Amino acid sequence: MSNQSVRGSRSSVRDRADDRESASAVRLADVRHEYGSTGGRFRSGGDRTVTALRGVSVDVPRGTIVGLEGPSGSGKSTILHAVAGLLVPTEGRVEVDGTDLTALSDAERTRLRRRHIGIVFQRFYLLPSLSARANVALPLVQAGVPRADRRDRAESLLEAVGLGDRATHLPGELSGGERQRVAIARALSTDPDVIVADEPTGELDTATGRRVLELLTDVGRDRAVIVASHDEATLSVADRIVALRDGRVDDVR
Amino acid sequence: MSVRGAIVRLRAVAGLALAQLRRAPGRTTLTVLAVTLAVLSVTVLGSLGVGVVDKGERGLDNAGQDIWISREPVDPSAGGTANPISGAHARSAELSARDDVDAASPIAMYDVYVGTEPADLQRHPAVGVQETHDGFDFEAGDGFEVDPETAATPPPDDPQREEIVIDPRVADDLGVSVGDTIHVGTSRETAATHEFTVIGISGYYSQYLGSPAVTVPLGDLQAVAGTEGTDRATFITADVADDADRETVAADLDAAYPEYDVRTSDDQIQSVLEERSIVLASGITLVGLAVLGGVVLTANLFALVAHQQREQLAALRAIGLSRGLLAGVIGTQGLLIGLFGGLLGLAATPPAVIGLNRLSASVLGFEDLLRTPPAVYAGGFTLALAVGTVVALVAGWRAGRYARIEHLEA
Repeated sequence: MSNQSVRGSRSSVRDRADDRESASAVRLADVRHEYGSTGGRFRSGGDRTVTALRGVSVDVPRGTIVGLEGPSGSGKSTILHAVAGLLVPTEGRVEVDGTDLTALSDAERTRLRRRHIGIVFQRFYLLPSLSARANVALPLVQAGVPRADRRDRAESLLEAVGLGDRATHLPGELSGGERQRVAIARALSTDPDVIVADEPTGELDTATGRRVLELLTDVGRDRAVIVASHDEATLSVADRIVALRDGRVDDVR
Repeated sequence: MSVRGAIVRLRAVAGLALAQLRRAPGRTTLTVLAVTLAVLSVTVLGSLGVGVVDKGERGLDNAGQDIWISREPVDPSAGGTANPISGAHARSAELSARDDVDAASPIAMYDVYVGTEPADLQRHPAVGVQETHDGFDFEAGDGFEVDPETAATPPPDDPQREEIVIDPRVADDLGVSVGDTIHVGTSRETAATHEFTVIGISGYYSQYLGSPAVTVPLGDLQAVAGTEGTDRATFITADVADDADRETVAADLDAAYPEYDVRTSDDQIQSVLEERSIVLASGITLVGLAVLGGVVLTANLFALVAHQQREQLAALRAIGLSRGLLAGVIGTQGLLIGLFGGLLGLAATPPAVIGLNRLSASVLGFEDLLRTPPAVYAGGFTLALAVGTVVALVAGWRAGRYARIEHLEA
């Protein structure tokens, strides 16, 4: 991995919270979330509420990969969204590097997410008309990083994920595995402390999925990584697996 | 950092928008064409409007006439005008005698048959006037001028001067030039008995009548038409004295001659334009549709782009990109299309105007009908900016709406 290239400017995109000592990069404490309730960002419509999480507590130290396992509707994605600050749980605390996301405003959460959290989606979500390099550099645009620096960073990240020779290719010209690697490079572009990945191999065949998992394992050496998946092979890279059922932690192993 | 960061973001947004436009050449071409057509239709209609008004004003200025007196709304393109003013010479002499009028002269209009042989005649509008003037811009030969004494007396029973100025196309058709004689009459029978000498070639009145016209001394035309007895004319034009106010004189004349319509030359242009109001309204409607079509097509296409990319936009929003930045990337594409299409429309204006001027010169006989003062270009460019802004706002707004986490599949 040539993550050194992005490490260099890490201090410039870091919050003051970064300096705080925290045993866990991510900590969820007694998190409860109801969709359709006033505390949630998502409303399911009508007056009925759906309880997605019930008293969930999870710690993810830096350098650890935690797998979230469970059937559909068990709360995996809700945990990822809560960690990413995409939703505010109805109750409980969600800390990232010691900062309680539930106490932040929308804008503050967005800023923290931009600087400290990388997101990998099952369906990649690359802009089809931009090259792999431009897609990777996109989050740096928001940070106001100059063009030449964006380019260098994106190229070194693509090199790091084994796509150095694909920098100018469009997503449509890349295989599924290559696209997911571009998406991972994009997630790493702001050098985040935490990576959340929702079914990162869900659209990939086994061999391709394995290569993406190796990459995630590599990424997880100095970051906190949370991976949600149904897939045994994907979860096998995790240092710890949290099994969820009906919004509760069923088992930790 | 914040100003520098903002500049970096602005440049990046423009770069990303350009990259997206480059990657979709079909869509880009279509939208650019739509805006180009909208702008071109505005500049061409603007040029036409400026040209028509300018031509009308110059025509009336060349005629040196400030006030136009008629009996009822006159359609100058209708050849068979009824020449409703009777006793035209006497009335003109009466007007000329006023202190506030330098000179007044009648104008009659008839359809006449002209030809080199009585058996081979063509029908053309004829204008009867007391004199030709500088505006005639003769291609060959010269004009005529009736002496003041003759101009003040009722017309004779027979043509006296037997001179005619003909349109260049009539000259070509008949194969005649200055010095040749042609038959002229308001019917085939009268044409056989009257021969006029071609003294000049000019298309001056053709511009206003919309077809190749001939010009003859008023008395001769009345004699040929057989209206010398009632001394009929279509208009009486009056040249106001230097120290008199045109509007005041027109008002005085209107009061003195309630049976006539008295108009200043400005009113006359306005009245002609009003008679053409359906044509004007059609032109404006077509331009309106072209503009609306351009805006709707372009805005819709980019709103569709935003819709197609709604999941990606939502994902990028989730990653932390601001809604403004994402809306900017899509909206800037609309703005760029508006600007580029607008510039193309402006660039296409001169050749379009040249082409249409050639067409109008050859088909209608109007030289340089379309005019392109800077205001026409400024109007076109303003429209392009407006289209670009509207498209940018609509597309950006749609993109902003799609850039929400809710659009991500959980």
